Amino acid sequence: MSMTKGFLVLESGETFSGLWQGEERVERAGEVVFNTSHSGYEEMATDPSYFGQILVLTAPQQGNYGEDDKWWESRRIWIEGFVCVELQNSWREKTWKQKLIKHGVPILTDIDTRTLVLKLRERGTMWGALVHESSPEKALERARQLIAEKQKGEKDWVHLTSRRQEETLKGDNPRGPRIAALDLGCKENSLRELKRRCSEIRIFPSRATPEQIRAYNPDGIFLSNGPGDPADVQQAPETVRALVGWKPIFGICMGHQILGRALGGETYKLKFGHRGSNHPIKDSLLNKIYMTSQNHGYAVKLESLPKTVQVTHVNLNDNTVAGIFDPTRKAMSVQFHPESHPGPHEASELFDFFIGQTQ
Amino acid sequence: MPRKQGLKKVVILGSGPIVIGQACEFDYSGTQACKALMKEGLEVVLINSNPATIMTDPEIASKVYIEPLKLTYVEKILRQERPDAIIPTLGGQTALNLALELDKAGILKELGIELLAATPEVIRAAEDREKFRDILDTVGARYPRSFMVRTYEQGMQVADDLGFPLILRPNYTLGGGGGGIAYSREEYQSKIAQGLHESPTSEVLVEESILGWQEFELEVMRDKAGTFVVICSIENFDPCGVHTGDSITVAPQQTLSDVAYQAMRDEARKIIEAVGVETGGANIQFAVNPATGERVVIEMNPRVSRSSALASKATGFPIAKIAALLAIGYNLEELRNDITGTTPCCYEPALDYVVTKIPRFAFEKFSGTKDQLTTQMRSVGEVMGIGRTFKESLQKALLSLEENDLGATPVILDEALLASGNSKRIYHVFQAFREGQTVDEVMAKTAINPWFLEQVEELAHFEKHMHNTPLTLELLRAAKKRGFSDAAIAKQTGHSVEELRQMRWQNKIVPAYFQVDTCAGEFRSETPYFYSTYFSPQQEMKLARPMLALLGSGPNRIGQGVEFDYSCVRSVREFQKNGLKVAMINSNPETVSTDYDTSDALFFEPLTTESVLEIMRFIEPIGFVAQLGGQTPINLAHKLVKVGQKLLGSSLESIDMAEDRALFVRICQELKFQIPRSGMAANFAEACTIAERIAYPIICRPSYVLGGRRMEIVESEEELKVYFDRHGSYISKEAPCLMDQFLDQALEVDVDLVRGPDWTVIGGVIEHIEAAGVHSGDSMGVVPPQRLKDETCRRIEDLSRRLADRLNVLGFLNLQLAVKNDEIFMLEANPRSSRSVPFIAKATGIPLVDLGVKGILGLKAKDVKPERYDWHAVKGVAVKGVVFPFKKFPEADSILGPEMKSTGETMGRGPDYAEALLKAVVACDLQLPTEGEVFLSLREKDKGDLFPLIQDLRQMGFTLSATRGTAAYLHEQGVECEAVKKVHEGRPHCVDRIRSGEVAFVINTTSGRTSIEASFGIRRSCVDYSIPCITESDAAKAFVLALKKRKQGDFSVNPL
Repeated sequence: MSMTKGFLVLESGETFSGLWQGEERVERAGEVVFNTSHSGYEEMATDPSYFGQILVLTAPQQGNYGEDDKWWESRRIWIEGFVCVELQNSWREKTWKQKLIKHGVPILTDIDTRTLVLKLRERGTMWGALVHESSPEKALERARQLIAEKQKGEKDWVHLTSRRQEETLKGDNPRGPRIAALDLGCKENSLRELKRRCSEIRIFPSRATPEQIRAYNPDGIFLSNGPGDPADVQQAPETVRALVGWKPIFGICMGHQILGRALGGETYKLKFGHRGSNHPIKDSLLNKIYMTSQNHGYAVKLESLPKTVQVTHVNLNDNTVAGIFDPTRKAMSVQFHPESHPGPHEASELFDFFIGQTQ
Repeated sequence: MPRKQGLKKVVILGSGPIVIGQACEFDYSGTQACKALMKEGLEVVLINSNPATIMTDPEIASKVYIEPLKLTYVEKILRQERPDAIIPTLGGQTALNLALELDKAGILKELGIELLAATPEVIRAAEDREKFRDILDTVGARYPRSFMVRTYEQGMQVADDLGFPLILRPNYTLGGGGGGIAYSREEYQSKIAQGLHESPTSEVLVEESILGWQEFELEVMRDKAGTFVVICSIENFDPCGVHTGDSITVAPQQTLSDVAYQAMRDEARKIIEAVGVETGGANIQFAVNPATGERVVIEMNPRVSRSSALASKATGFPIAKIAALLAIGYNLEELRNDITGTTPCCYEPALDYVVTKIPRFAFEKFSGTKDQLTTQMRSVGEVMGIGRTFKESLQKALLSLEENDLGATPVILDEALLASGNSKRIYHVFQAFREGQTVDEVMAKTAINPWFLEQVEELAHFEKHMHNTPLTLELLRAAKKRGFSDAAIAKQTGHSVEELRQMRWQNKIVPAYFQVDTCAGEFRSETPYFYSTYFSPQQEMKLARPMLALLGSGPNRIGQGVEFDYSCVRSVREFQKNGLKVAMINSNPETVSTDYDTSDALFFEPLTTESVLEIMRFIEPIGFVAQLGGQTPINLAHKLVKVGQKLLGSSLESIDMAEDRALFVRICQELKFQIPRSGMAANFAEACTIAERIAYPIICRPSYVLGGRRMEIVESEEELKVYFDRHGSYISKEAPCLMDQFLDQALEVDVDLVRGPDWTVIGGVIEHIEAAGVHSGDSMGVVPPQRLKDETCRRIEDLSRRLADRLNVLGFLNLQLAVKNDEIFMLEANPRSSRSVPFIAKATGIPLVDLGVKGILGLKAKDVKPERYDWHAVKGVAVKGVVFPFKKFPEADSILGPEMKSTGETMGRGPDYAEALLKAVVACDLQLPTEGEVFLSLREKDKGDLFPLIQDLRQMGFTLSATRGTAAYLHEQGVECEAVKKVHEGRPHCVDRIRSGEVAFVINTTSGRTSIEASFGIRRSCVDYSIPCITESDAAKAFVLALKKRKQGDFSVNPL
């Protein structure tokens, strides 16, 4: 494959040129987001929360340590494109680049990610497209088409990434609780964390009804992470609203936003989101401060929450709500990723807290 | 939690003289901490014996004590000052060990002084290897299988159990002192014996080898609330087996998967919690088996370190400052990130660039020493290159070494140098790829991670590509992105550097200056800390004006170290007072000058013509200052002026008059100054004729050698013959042998002065304690002079002023002169701030750097009021002591000569010469014996001269032994003395005697190549066993004076 010019075009019309590393006609549009983690590209690419997004990594060199299926966080690669300064390109038996190409992901390297990040930071998240054209003018035209097409599609991204069938997993702890997990675009490591602590997990599709879940009669309900705008998610808020107070609930990321909405709160879009492995969280539930893995573009609005709900977690970078707890109804959720992968592990204790609530 | 209640006065312990393994990174951390605590309104008392540092500048702390970092002196200061607390975590191993001693002696308890940041329990838990291993066991961390050896016999038993190779790590030594790798039983036997001797507790950890594993370091911080952050991950390019201080290192880590990295991070958190580091920084080193992913912990330092300084510069996170604030009670959450100004300090920096550190070595200074890197650190300095990719940063770091303008210069491939750790290995890795070796092949030989090798391979292949392809703008752009210098591109493409520069500038192929912002661009940052990259166009940026460019001194090396950083840093405020903004340019991560809040803008860039010129194109300065950073900026000045940059202060002509030997000689003649007779000889016959004119002794050296290499003092025609036999191949008509009259037994002095258009201030005259022949950097010195007549001193000052006027100096001038029989000889002039400037400034209290800045800016006498500064008026005496790294170079000779070998200096201050001398010597970590046997081996001409001193020693209760000649002389004089065999006279000889521990100290004066070589064993055994060995007669007198003073016991301690 020869390396030729390619472009990342933003919906604002700005173009960034770089080297096209993927298949020639594999061009895609998506929301352009950046993540500041130093490692974990394969986990990110397979995280369903990146559905519909072109992933820009600020760490300049990617693919350094190769690829491995065991790092996958779901059944497929979800990102619409992979953008970085340099991608490991020397011959090896297995490389991350080959894997991206095999899965039809467009790749653009040698691009000025710094300027791009500063732009996204100043103006907020934008849509964009990765196109393989010979000139910026042609690229712009092609990108507009791709973006328009993509935006026409289904808005409930959670539904698009969720399992369609119920699935049951045997847990490692025979004395642990049985958990119903609502798959909103669930990362594998959340399931691994639960599996370690539970006797059984049943995973429900995102549009499962309260009745389906009640019928399983779990000891607790887990709401997973997932992509997109929580306001576009169908059924899940209603389901959760119906189940709050029935059994302890634990939500992560999208699960947190859904719980927030189910409790009567509102969600809003952050300017450019939080994506990285270094976000400081003040946790008044466990009474400590730790670094967390984050990946979200929306947040729960503080003022919109009912009085019965405590804000237990705060993002210290911008003081946004990062976790809530309704002690009377044993419902809790966090905006960040205690399941990590990629990112630090300190918050994994929250799974213990949740399991404790179920007993 | 806010600041501790009741805390008013805090003592910070410095790290003492610069030695290998503990260098100016501790000046950086200590200075940063002092500034932070002063800002908190605390009274800060600083104790450090190193006068060359910024931290001992009287403006950095409330009170500065330049006193030895030894129990008795520090105890006295503590009794005098009665502080509330001591922070021992900022002054390296020296400060930690001292804190433990203070605790053990019960002084802390008695005086009610708290240890902040690390309690004795924490220090012991991390530093005592057995305790540390217990802790690792409790958290489930693995470590290499090892045994603590306390006796030689036990050591041999352990070796049988573990097998070879083995790694030796003596307990409580800095920079791995006394440690190493033993590949065979023979090697192990001598190493274990030395290691047991070196360790203050006579303990050596003998460890199974993890050679070839990959090495990582995490720089972490933790506060009282338990919040834990990793500031920086660092990966070693060189696999295990090379001390991390000697390795090329890269940040952030590049080759660990997130799973592997997070597991390491978790382990670091558990360890630091278990050790109990409550407040501050620590570093933990890991090794990872590349085949299995198995991980072991190598060691932990519960304090700021060399790596934390590097991590601070790499990320922009001021570890030492935050550590100091945590120590006085704050939590991370309560402190703001200075760089962004908006986010808190409890976060982990994210980098959108790559940083490479390369150590700088000085093997060429220690002839006979093998250039081999092991677990004992040997580098004397380091550089850091910041680039968008590893390739760009590696090439920038190579250029920063200031060894050549090509960066990865071609070499003749040597497979042996490729296969093992040595200072040239990186060049051979490049060369291997140039010659077509594959990544797999090189990996098999080096055990370097393939990702790093791929990067180097790509660079080597790109070189070839440049060579074979006509130069296009596209190719030029691609080359610049890969970090190639114009000179390197010129070499491959055949274009000249000037052509390439024009081509670049016309087509806007110029670097962009990006901020080091701690957050990969996620948050806005106003901090003007920049690095250059060719990966992106310039973002709009507002710079303060009017700005000048201040060129720093680059990597520390022997002869150019922290002293120059002192001048640079100290000058900034004075420039600012005069309405100017300062852009600092430097490549050395250990320094205060590369702290982002030292200057108005910091450019972390190589000190090469190309990179400095690009910065100037960007900042458009009113001019540049080349006088403060030592020889590095002076060497750049010519090229910068040639392309139209404005040099501030002394003009290029002034500089040339001092630097160009022929010009300088002519000026001296014009001013009727006496200079040593000299000549140039192309062969032995010519040399004989010249020698007749000059008269012996003569200093001979080949042309074009740096740092006094192959420089020898020749005393007779016979020796001259030998000199030509040995070095004849370096001597020719084109490169003649330079011959100078050697002023035997002359007194040498250093003069530092500053001059403005109509004024001159003499900072002081330093009298060298050793006679002429010892490099000025290696000789001890004293202010005010003790032997020089007042009248001669006045004449020296007068000559100095006249020379400064003639050279039309604006700013600094350093002069070296010699005095023999009251005649003054002008030896050399340096048109810049010198190594001795900080010493003089602190000895006399004259703000010499501030005055120098006034001179550079051309301020007139009526504003400067130079008459206010008179160094003669200063009370008390200050002595400069010198420390040497011979211990780290087991094959090197410790005799002093015309080539500088010392790494650092101390200052002793006292009401009289003896006290100042004693302190200077003690601060150098020399053991001062109070009793025992003195072994003497004196050259003929010293015997009479030193006789009174020998009698003194007898009176003080020392017994004497000596080589036959010396013993015979003493017997003649009626002095009792045991005769001992020389090495070649059969055993047991004098070296056996020294090695067996029977000798308390040695005076060994010698001259002439043959006798120097014959007495090598004496000096070497003294170095190995830490026995003082004095090699010069004036130094011997000074040493005995210090011994006498020590016997008296009384001393005083006073702040500057």
